[in-house]
Amino acid sequence: MSGVLERPDAADLLAIARTTVLEEILPVLPETHRLAARMVANALGIAQRMIAVDPSRLAVLDARAAALAQSAQDPWAGLCALIRSGRADPGTECHAAVAGLLADLAQLRCETSAPKTLAGG
Amino acid sequence: MDEARRESLRVWLAQAADDAGLAIDAMARLSGGAIQQNWGLAVRRGDGRQERWVLRTDNPATLAVSHSRSEEFALLRAAHAAGVTVAEPLFVCEDAGVIGAPFLVMRHVAGIAVAYRVVKWDAIGGGREAAARAMGRELARIHCIRPPRADLAFLGHPPADPCLAFCAEQERALDAAGPHPILEWGLRHLRRTAPPPIAPSLCHNDFRTGNILWTEHGLAAVLDWEFAGWGDPHADFGWLCARCWRFGNIMMEAGGVGPRAALYAGYVEAGGAVPDAARVAWWELAAHVRWATIALAQGARHLSGREPSLELALTPHIVPELEWHILREVAAREAGLERAA
Repeated sequence: MSGVLERPDAADLLAIARTTVLEEILPVLPETHRLAARMVANALGIAQRMIAVDPSRLAVLDARAAALAQSAQDPWAGLCALIRSGRADPGTECHAAVAGLLADLAQLRCETSAPKTLAGG
Repeated sequence: MDEARRESLRVWLAQAADDAGLAIDAMARLSGGAIQQNWGLAVRRGDGRQERWVLRTDNPATLAVSHSRSEEFALLRAAHAAGVTVAEPLFVCEDAGVIGAPFLVMRHVAGIAVAYRVVKWDAIGGGREAAARAMGRELARIHCIRPPRADLAFLGHPPADPCLAFCAEQERALDAAGPHPILEWGLRHLRRTAPPPIAPSLCHNDFRTGNILWTEHGLAAVLDWEFAGWGDPHADFGWLCARCWRFGNIMMEAGGVGPRAALYAGYVEAGGAVPDAARVAWWELAAHVRWATIALAQGARHLSGREPSLELALTPHIVPELEWHILREVAAREAGLERAA
């Protein structure tokens, strides 16, 4: 035991569960159930990557959104309103900062949900 | 479907087909269709003839934007009459009491639609060039159907400006889905660069690989008419050619199936006007935004608790990849605008 909760931890359990689905279960399944097994493996992989995200990265993105939207209450809704209103259009003062934040946001979201995209896939 | 409903269906079909001896020999759920359920029916007519039909009905929670079965039936009839290659529409039943939900019945057409298989199939529809041309011809026939049409009155009036109407519809979808700033970014760019309106046509609005049935000889049927409506015909080109609907076969710009030039050639060959490349490019970006909001709506069906499904739960995880391409495309288009200014 390490701390309050037993080990292996969530990340480890998800990883070994995914390997088991792919290497032990999938090969012996009939064709009718293979898609479902691949979806299970996919879901486990996404969950694994989501819990591995360093919370400080999320906090930094939240803070940048809040600064641009000038709203700590709901920074992402505020940022959306800013973009929709045209106040972040090309030529505006905050355009480059918003574009930079969205690029970093896209990077993190792809790292968790669609890592193959970042590899050019 | 339980025995009682199956018998109730048989009685209804016998009446609709004016064939008291009609029997259902077999009935099986077909794969695919996140929105509708499809059932394959093996039917024996009173005179002994065997026929294969397909029954389409609603899943428990359908997207609000899709048409009812009777509307889909009217669209199929209009398309069939215009020479579009569709499964022949046979009957429609609006009475939910027969099998639990309204349904339509059409003739079965053999072929392959599964997108990941289709895009890897070099012999598809007589070869990739021929297949892309065939898709162009089908689109030209669909776009020949123009408003007003009494039989399609349920489609309402055509939007005065289809591009801006699209933007407004997507803004509403994003309002419902919760904050997605990258999609907002793409949508804002689309609003700023929307081309002016042109004469409206019927648009299939889901004309893509996966919704087209193929054999090795040709295009067997255009499927899934539930999103059809009046609009800018370039929207169908944008949806078909968008990178996100090429299923990994990026170089084949017409849906991962064949070359874009052949698609356009087929369109012109069947009487369509030469597609406007800039307008198609606008709709290709729009396709990424639209697919993203559809994916979010599908995820919401799972999140609502009314329709727990692993497939629906995974669908919103497509959105980050779409966002990645939206950001890149917006940046490229903005750079192009700056150079042109």
